[in-house]
Amino acid sequence: MVRRRHGWSRILVLLTDLAVMAVLVAGTGALAAAPAPAKRRIAASLLTSKHGFYQELEDGLVAEGRKYGFELDITYAEFDAAKQARQIEDLIARKPDALIISPCDSTAIGESIVKANKASIPVFTVDIANRSGYGSVVSHIASDNFEGGRLAGQLMAKALGGTGKVIIINHPSITSVMDRVSGFREYLEQYPGIQIVADIPAWGQRSRATAIMEDVLMMMPYIDGVFGINDDSALGALQAIEAARVKRRIVVVGYDGTPEAVKAIRASKIYGDVVQYPRQIGVLAIQAIRDHFNGLPVKPYIAVGVGIVTADSLGGP
Amino acid sequence: MWDSRKNLAQVAPAGVVAAGGPGSDGGAGASAAVARRRSGLGARLGRLFEDYGMALVFAGICVLFTIWTKGLFIRPDNIVNVLRQISINACIATGMTFVIITGGVDLSVGSVLAVVGIVTAKLLTRLPGLMPVLPAIILSCLVGLMMGGVMGSVNGFTITRFRVPPFVSTLAMMTAARGVAFLLSDGRPVWNLPLQFNFIGRGYVLDKVFGPWVPMPVVIMVVVMATAHVILTRTQIGRYVYAVGGNEEAARLSGINVARVKMFAYSLSGVTAALGGIILISRLASGQPGAGESYELYAIAATVLGGTSMSGGKGTMVGTAIGALIMGVLNNGLNLAGVESYSQNVILGAVILGAVLIDRLRKGA
Repeated sequence: MVRRRHGWSRILVLLTDLAVMAVLVAGTGALAAAPAPAKRRIAASLLTSKHGFYQELEDGLVAEGRKYGFELDITYAEFDAAKQARQIEDLIARKPDALIISPCDSTAIGESIVKANKASIPVFTVDIANRSGYGSVVSHIASDNFEGGRLAGQLMAKALGGTGKVIIINHPSITSVMDRVSGFREYLEQYPGIQIVADIPAWGQRSRATAIMEDVLMMMPYIDGVFGINDDSALGALQAIEAARVKRRIVVVGYDGTPEAVKAIRASKIYGDVVQYPRQIGVLAIQAIRDHFNGLPVKPYIAVGVGIVTADSLGGP
Repeated sequence: MWDSRKNLAQVAPAGVVAAGGPGSDGGAGASAAVARRRSGLGARLGRLFEDYGMALVFAGICVLFTIWTKGLFIRPDNIVNVLRQISINACIATGMTFVIITGGVDLSVGSVLAVVGIVTAKLLTRLPGLMPVLPAIILSCLVGLMMGGVMGSVNGFTITRFRVPPFVSTLAMMTAARGVAFLLSDGRPVWNLPLQFNFIGRGYVLDKVFGPWVPMPVVIMVVVMATAHVILTRTQIGRYVYAVGGNEEAARLSGINVARVKMFAYSLSGVTAALGGIILISRLASGQPGAGESYELYAIAATVLGGTSMSGGKGTMVGTAIGALIMGVLNNGLNLAGVESYSQNVILGAVILGAVLIDRLRKGA
């Protein structure tokens, strides 16, 4: 008896709860429906405002967002993970309808994503993924950097004719770059004649890449190829090769296809570049958010294609 | 003009004179007296160490790397590389030495370098359309150097006129100037610089005669440091720089225009940072708004490694040159030895701390 009554009271409580919730939902629904539908607000904490890549990505977000009348609130963490954490807290406080993040640190970002989850704000990551194991992300939109790395390997193998010693100018701790490098290494495994003799970080900075390349040319004057994980790395290495007046051919392969690198490719100073389509990342991110708003299913990972640029593909000077 | 040294000797407390003598090392002088009381070989070695401590450390590092890299390090072409790699830091550290001797610090050098780099690069892309290339390059560089001087003198002005501590004042400039660099460039690199401009950062002097052995940035560095050395040791303003850093109040009482001396030091620091910026954009063939980040720390490290006291009043250009060399040799040598870069930072930090500790011991503190 007692147990049964207990059961009934439980159900009663549940029912009251449901009723209250229904009223609340109906109320908010009515409130939301009454005025003209409020503009959907999307907040973003991007890695940086300083790289051409992110500027194009942002252009994509803004242009596509405008199409659907979304209001964008874009902030930049400028490579500072702690700053990004504070930034996201502030963004969450303003209760946006969706949050776009490109994490400064793939592991540290977990906590911020959990906070957004608790506030029921759907999170989308662009370019750099959440690898913390915490928090849930609706969708990750990024270049297929692994494929990009494979393409870079393909360029290198073709330019070297299948044999040679290669170095990588790396930027560790960034997932997108890690993917590039693993793709590059994986592709070159099928060429036993190509050896990767060094893998040195220049942190994506041109001045560091130049200094490192000078030292590499001293230490291993025999190298045949350089893979720069971004164009600053490739162009920095190129500067050192030119200054050292290396007589032999050293193949330089870059990544991103910035205008400066394209010019060097035209002049046959850089053999080729893998290019990403950052604008497309921005566009697809907004489309994923739109689909999510409309209750449509969104793929957890949206891979944006990559391509290559060589002097041939540019069609000569 | 009256002879500053004589008057200083009469007016200022003895401490100022010890610290303010041209090229003299106040602290070492005092402990040298202690050493003299000891006798024999130990004392002589001790004195040698006091006078040439950092030079010995530098020589030791060079020997170590030569052995470690099986002679690769000491090859002439590598020496040329090292000198070229340190040229920018050495230029910046030159101005920094003046500032630190006055008892201040200049955190804005990296950002000043970036702003000047962007402005000069922009001019270099525009001016050659309006005038012949060579005058365009000279004009762009002069404007860049002047901008550096102006930014430095703004630092000097806020520090002397409003008594804002140098750390705060130059920190503000560092932050603001970095923003300006991004505003001016719209966050994008400025490139397509005239080919002739490459000479400053990548060219070789008398290439046809010597071949690629005398890089232009190294020549610039040597000229700048030698000039600074002469200013510091042989001119009145140089002696005033020491006097202001040694004991500002005493310097003021002895009739030195302290504000003017400080203005000079900060303006000079701006100009040398600007010069670093010009060399950098030529070396990289583009002006980058993010360039020069944490260069202030490298410059301070080189200065401190050279025995310049952060509390002011002592330091020499020879010391700073050795400091910059130690930094450059460590970077290059560890690269050549194949030490991965995380450990490199740890070693660099340890050496900076170790060097300062040696300096403390040397002073008998």
